[in-house]
Amino acid sequence: MRLPSTLPIALRALRRNTLQTALTIAGMTIGVAAVLAMIAIGTGARTAIEDQIRAAGMNLIVVTAGNYKVKTTDDFGGGAVEPSAALRLWSLFEATLLAHPEDDPMEKHDHPTARQRLGDAEAGLGSAATLLSSDADAIRRIRGVQYVAEGLRQNAHVKAGAKRWFTRLHGTDQQLPLIRRAWIFPSGRFFSAREQSRAEQVIVLGSIAAERLFGDGHPVGRDVTIWNQPFRVVGVVTTTSWMIAPAAGDDQFDAVYIPFRTMHRLLNLTKLNDITITAASTGDVTRIMTDVTTLLRERHKIADNAADDFTVTTQARQALARGGLRPDVARAVVGNVAGLEKVTLEQLGRTLDRATRTMALLLAAIAAVSLVVGGIGIMNVMLLSIADRTREIGIRRAVGARARDVRSQFVLEAVALSVAGGLAGVIVGLAAAAGLERYLRWSTSVSPGAIVLSVGVAAAVGIFFGWYPAKQAAALDPIQSLRRE
Amino acid sequence: MTDPGNHDDVGNAVPVIAVHDLTKTYAMEGAPVHALRGVTLEIRRGEFVSVVGPSGSGKSTFMHLLGCLDQPDGGRYLLEGRDVSRLSDDELSAIRNRKIGFVFQGFNLLPRTSAMENVELPLLYAPDARISPAERRRRAETALAAVGLEDRASHHPNQLSGGQQQRVAIARALLNDPAILLADEPTGNLDSETSVEVMDIFQRLNEARGLTIVLITHEPQVAEYASRIIRFKDGRVVSDQRHASRRAVAGAPDSRAVNS
Repeated sequence: MRLPSTLPIALRALRRNTLQTALTIAGMTIGVAAVLAMIAIGTGARTAIEDQIRAAGMNLIVVTAGNYKVKTTDDFGGGAVEPSAALRLWSLFEATLLAHPEDDPMEKHDHPTARQRLGDAEAGLGSAATLLSSDADAIRRIRGVQYVAEGLRQNAHVKAGAKRWFTRLHGTDQQLPLIRRAWIFPSGRFFSAREQSRAEQVIVLGSIAAERLFGDGHPVGRDVTIWNQPFRVVGVVTTTSWMIAPAAGDDQFDAVYIPFRTMHRLLNLTKLNDITITAASTGDVTRIMTDVTTLLRERHKIADNAADDFTVTTQARQALARGGLRPDVARAVVGNVAGLEKVTLEQLGRTLDRATRTMALLLAAIAAVSLVVGGIGIMNVMLLSIADRTREIGIRRAVGARARDVRSQFVLEAVALSVAGGLAGVIVGLAAAAGLERYLRWSTSVSPGAIVLSVGVAAAVGIFFGWYPAKQAAALDPIQSLRRE
Repeated sequence: MTDPGNHDDVGNAVPVIAVHDLTKTYAMEGAPVHALRGVTLEIRRGEFVSVVGPSGSGKSTFMHLLGCLDQPDGGRYLLEGRDVSRLSDDELSAIRNRKIGFVFQGFNLLPRTSAMENVELPLLYAPDARISPAERRRRAETALAAVGLEDRASHHPNQLSGGQQQRVAIARALLNDPAILLADEPTGNLDSETSVEVMDIFQRLNEARGLTIVLITHEPQVAEYASRIIRFKDGRVVSDQRHASRRAVAGAPDSRAVNS
């Protein structure tokens, strides 16, 4: 008696006890379905969190021109919160004017101090125009650097027909969308490398700016005017991230983007405000920060005892400085953590790892408990079934079944129960995951591996918990079993 | 059967059953119970033997030993010349499968299972060759036809009368063409009329096929269908007689009271 003929015996025996079989399968189904749904929710949540963190830029390094650490000790970090707030106040004031001097770049750049104005306007805290495109190119050659986008920032009036909107103007690199991973383009595209190199007058609108200037209309292909110069709209950008929602006054979506070379050409500038870098691996972030600092100090010929004329910071630090904290609180926090870089990305990564591991352990514990309960259910049913079918066992032994035939029959019955329950559980679990995703908008993710694992574990539970009852059945004395009424 | 020779020529054939000084002792609540105290006898091919005796006489133990459901403590048991008194559990199972057909008092059919599947059961445990489902079916049909139940193949035991159930059990016992058919009180659960039917089948199988039958009973009337009656008492054989005037169903249509 080998497996091929024991299996039909086991299946036939199960078919004879339909209700009992169905109830046992139901128990296992619930266990496996719970396991699969938990895995789905767990992996889904983890994937979503990881995506968001990556999208938010754990591997992001920002180099800003100027260094106001020299002047103040209670700085905010690389952000430019206050200048932009100040400019907004200024905008209220100047809105009453008929024409702002910055509306005409020619007028502006005739001014002897025009070349410094960009930096002055930007900082007010001591920022200076010290970064150059060649610095960015040098950074591109550092090992481990993934993308580099150099940029200038300005505030400008953007006009579309009769509508005006005072917003953030970024002159930036065409690689920026690769760095802002959560960006999507509901219409159009980002400007191309060709448009960059030819310094074309093309513009990408943040979703808030697009809405203010064009309402619900379609801006792509239309023109806007900045500094009395026409720019053709090539795209509108927004985000998929739930951590950052586009809002009026933000830096990314209440903003417009043009090639930095276009900005250089029109404003007759060579300076940059900042260089945004991504590391290919989050583990390299700290090293790249050091490399960038060394490189720029060399390039800027800064003496050993002199301070940097730039600031290297990370997304994490910027987020803390900007993250909706009141300025005094933010100042207290950033000021007291002497060098926020101590909270390195490695540490943040480790924290994330720990959280993930905790969640995985929790899921494993839930899975283990459900499966043990399911397995005990199977064992219980098998023991009852054997007590119930002692006579059957006696009959089988009398007509020539060996002890091991009886044992494999009952093990196979247990496995058939658990695998059937497991398969049903996979279906129920998938349905549950799909339902959660659809109605509760939880993100779930079921891999084929998880399904194979669930069924495999169910079979293992069947073997494990079926073994003892089957052994009991095989050990029964044929004569005693036959006498049993 | 392993010996395709002439069944009538029993004299020079190896006895189907040869037991020598068979003993069996059970430990019942500390006190040893001597179920068999040295039984020696031979049964030849084609014999129809009744084993009778009161409760506790050791006849059931004897049947379990003959049926290889249990092993003796002492003595030897040769089944078709092979010593089967010192075999492993697996070897005993194989012998039960191929050499022995059981018919029990309580029929012992699998519930909620068709007559056909019940009859097929021994073939599922055939030790060497795998038997195809078609072949199993064919042989089960033949066996059912032999007991006149070919039209009840798909019925479950609870849809059959007691007599019919016992006939299904007989068909199952015949399936592997056994060396001996062991019947343990086969009429104990049947009324007198169906008892006669069942005994008729036994007689016909014995006469037409030369099947060796050992019938255990405590009813003298039932025992009289056999050609040889062995009496047990206190674990010993007290008499062993040829029964010349064996009872034939055809010649004794009168109803017999069956006490139980």
